[in-house]
Amino acid sequence: MNTLLNIENLHASVGDKEILRGINLAIRPGEVHAIMGPNGSGKSTLSAVLAGRDTFTVTEGSVTYEGRDLLALAPEDRSWAGIFLGFQYPTEIPGVSNVNFMKAAVNEQRKQRGLEPLSAGQFLKLMREKMAYVEMDSSFSSRGVNVGFSGGEKKRNEIFQMAMLEPRLAILDETDSGLDVDALRIVASGVNRLKRPDNAFIVITHYQRLLDYIVPDVIHVLYKGRIIKTAGKELALEIEEKGYDWLIHESE
Amino acid sequence: MKANKQEITLCPGESRELVVVQDQPGLAEQEAEWKITLPEGASLNMVFLSLQGTVHNRIDVSLEGPQADCRLSGLYLASGDERMDYDILLTHHVPGCRSEQLFKGLLTGRSVTHFDGLIRVVPDAQKTEAYQANHNLLLSDDARAHTRPQLEIYADDVKCSHGATVGRLNPEELFYLRSRGIPLTEARMLQQLAFVGEVLERISSQEQRERLQTRVEERLRSAF
Repeated sequence: MNTLLNIENLHASVGDKEILRGINLAIRPGEVHAIMGPNGSGKSTLSAVLAGRDTFTVTEGSVTYEGRDLLALAPEDRSWAGIFLGFQYPTEIPGVSNVNFMKAAVNEQRKQRGLEPLSAGQFLKLMREKMAYVEMDSSFSSRGVNVGFSGGEKKRNEIFQMAMLEPRLAILDETDSGLDVDALRIVASGVNRLKRPDNAFIVITHYQRLLDYIVPDVIHVLYKGRIIKTAGKELALEIEEKGYDWLIHESE
Repeated sequence: MKANKQEITLCPGESRELVVVQDQPGLAEQEAEWKITLPEGASLNMVFLSLQGTVHNRIDVSLEGPQADCRLSGLYLASGDERMDYDILLTHHVPGCRSEQLFKGLLTGRSVTHFDGLIRVVPDAQKTEAYQANHNLLLSDDARAHTRPQLEIYADDVKCSHGATVGRLNPEELFYLRSRGIPLTEARMLQQLAFVGEVLERISSQEQRERLQTRVEERLRSAF
């Protein structure tokens, strides 16, 4: 099957500091890739670069998504093309309600696909259905985006937004951090319900725990801006047991 | 040009809401002055919306009877070469009154705004509560917002605060909105509407609020 995302020799910096130092990664539809690695290895930078955050500068390499040059696209264009980033720290937006935010987002996606906007009734029905995926109370819809949400509620809101937008490639940046077991289970089951043969996930995590719920096809270990190991799902257990040091030694 | 001058005196115990809309284009200065007096137990909720033009508003409020309550809010949208000034003097003459002010400005083009707000609490006016906030968002490099919130307090048992900010649209919010497929101009519009919403919410009639919200959005879409 064709490659959905192809990253070749990707280098990215903040100011003078090079954070990604030659990433190669190919993802096909239907796959779940986990990216693990110690703090500061570049995991969040990779997700930010893929979503188009402009605090990072790509200095070398390429990213091709569905045959297009992803790096040339604005963040909203990437979203229209089916890319979704689940933020590690979801942004609070006082004064913009969750419902107005999602209505603007969903109808813009529809417009880009040549579809009519949803009627108020259709939209509310869709919203209720997707909120149920992550067991979110309907009172969240009238509240400001992420304003006053607990850590777990913010992460559930990310998965809810993903369910609304039905991306082709979802990148979940440490969606499990700060979650208790119940919230983790809710978030993971939301992700599992959205898995289809034609979409793919990149799950960035520190811990093996999440991978008990979202089973990856491949695990990559990122260290100092490079992928130093790629293996099957059993690698997570080995990392849980032995940490990253043995992999780092192996690669050096 | 002669200033348009209004005197507003409430009756004791009366509650009133007033909404002032300034929506005349042009750079000729439109001066307006309000002299407001609140006797015992009177309560005023007044909202100013300066949507376009060059305006100079002078507002003088006297709280003259105990338990008087004044809420002043304002929104100014300044674009092009417009200039918008607010001079506010709010005096607590007697004990036990409350006042609250919230003024917000959105500026673009080469517009200039001045917010000059003084809260005065006379020596006898104990148990006063007085709050004032002025927040400005600059949407262009050449716009200038000046703000001068001031407190003059001569009583010692009071709760007073004031604050002022001049800032820009939050880039983190912008990226979050765009990452969900909301295009740049629309994302900026959502941020601007969120900013002005806090003032518009203070209009209690739903019909009037929605009508003015629509008008504010029209102004933002055409000039900002």
